[in-house]
Amino acid sequence: MTSETADRSVTSDAVHVDGVSRSFGAVRAVDDVSLGVGRGETVALLGPNGAGKTTTITMVLGLARPDRGTVTVLGMSPEDAVTRGLIGAMLQDGGMMPGVLVGELLAMMRRLFPAPLSLQETIAVAQLEGLEKRRVDRLSRGQSQRLRLAMALIGDPELLILDEPTAAMDVEARRNFWHAMRGFTDRGRTILFSTHYLEEADISADRIVLMARGRVVADGTPSAIKDSVGLRVIRFSVVRPETSGLESLPGVVSASARGNRVELRCRDTDLALRALLSARPDAHDIEVAGIALEDAFLSITDGVAA
Amino acid sequence: MGSYLALELRRSLRDRRYLLLVVGWPVGAYLLFSTVFGAAGDRSEGLAPTIAIMVAMAAFGAMGGVLMASGPRLALDRQVGWLRQLSLTPLSPVRVLAVRLITAMTLSLPAICLILLTAAIVKDVTLPLWEWPALVLLIAAGCLPFAAMGIVIGSIADGDGAQGLTMVIYLVLAALGGLWVPEQILPAPLQAVAKALPSYHLAQLGWYVARGVAPAIGDGLVLLAWFAAAALLAVGVSRRLTLRAA
Repeated sequence: MTSETADRSVTSDAVHVDGVSRSFGAVRAVDDVSLGVGRGETVALLGPNGAGKTTTITMVLGLARPDRGTVTVLGMSPEDAVTRGLIGAMLQDGGMMPGVLVGELLAMMRRLFPAPLSLQETIAVAQLEGLEKRRVDRLSRGQSQRLRLAMALIGDPELLILDEPTAAMDVEARRNFWHAMRGFTDRGRTILFSTHYLEEADISADRIVLMARGRVVADGTPSAIKDSVGLRVIRFSVVRPETSGLESLPGVVSASARGNRVELRCRDTDLALRALLSARPDAHDIEVAGIALEDAFLSITDGVAA
Repeated sequence: MGSYLALELRRSLRDRRYLLLVVGWPVGAYLLFSTVFGAAGDRSEGLAPTIAIMVAMAAFGAMGGVLMASGPRLALDRQVGWLRQLSLTPLSPVRVLAVRLITAMTLSLPAICLILLTAAIVKDVTLPLWEWPALVLLIAAGCLPFAAMGIVIGSIADGDGAQGLTMVIYLVLAALGGLWVPEQILPAPLQAVAKALPSYHLAQLGWYVARGVAPAIGDGLVLLAWFAAAALLAVGVSRRLTLRAA
């Protein structure tokens, strides 16, 4: 496996999206998006529904063309990368061939690729043992999802693109899924996946690209993203409802006030608290709390409205 | 490409409802018609009714096999996202369409062969030996326009709609093309329509062979013209199959 990996060209990024826009009618689904995915990296496209994640992925796969900007995959056009069998993909609206057996479908798919995985290995990784003789249209939702994964993996692609791969999964299935993915990335392969769970992106990705309303609003390591969002808050009451200057206190990300109650979003509450007490002696009823990942994430993506 | 073709054929032959429709129906119709209209001394297309009806039903079955194997399946595959998934493999869109075309054409064979066999065994039809394979190949090849029509239907209609549309086209082509009743007993305006339809010329090809004469070039040309028109339309609309970028 290692020698085979070394044989493949490693001169360019796995994915390079440069200034890409795409509209559907009057709706600009993707607006001047640029992002890069290095070889061997696992990158999460994180954002709420309608953020433009799927549209971006569709263009990276060459299933749609950008109105503006360019997409390069493994140093070539997405179409060429697909034709050479370098991309595996799990789409939200991708389907299975109706009326055939799981084993038949995978065996056929396998022969379409130049250097595929073995059938056995694919079935093991996707946990489809015992389902080979099952008709693909008689699978449960979870089983279908695993078959989709198997179809994406079977060509042993250089780049795996997964659009909300764990949307239909429970906690355990999700853990198994990412365990299987680590086996894939351990061999130097690249993953670009979309999700709307910050927690999933945090655990699984080397880097998070945060999207909202068709734009990239943050791009960095999970811890950098979490710091910039501010996962802990200090709430307190003040005599004068005046928040100016509070944002620039050490450890504080943002400040907001409702009436005379102020909330500080912080990356370091200890630091922020010390600074606050000297800066605002009128602060009282002080409370320090953690906030849910999802709330933090929603607040930053909502902020892009303007 | 070969493995995809093999799997397409296998799933078609596994589909019992499909086989009953495109093989069972024409074979049953053959037995009925040839028994009712098969009185000794009758002539039709210059042939004994058991032979004339055999050719008509072989054309009817072949046409159904091809139409039903292409349009409705393509529409379903598009709807469930299978074509989209397939377009992310190294198999090119042109090859996908080629596989669908070859699959559809191949599925003309079960009906043709079974009807010829039924005629020979049940109705004691005898023909010079060379005429049997000639009938099979010529009727199968003459189905090319229907395969292309199927790709058009599969590209523009959704699952159930494609099924219905295919059925309507199938029945109209069969009835007006003179496959159920000789076109001579249709009203005059409909006779003119019949002579423009590919189904009529498909049966003509077979009737020539059954009479032991070479088919007229004109029938082949009409079929080719229908194929060219349908193929041109297919090239235009097959983008909707989301085989590639829009």
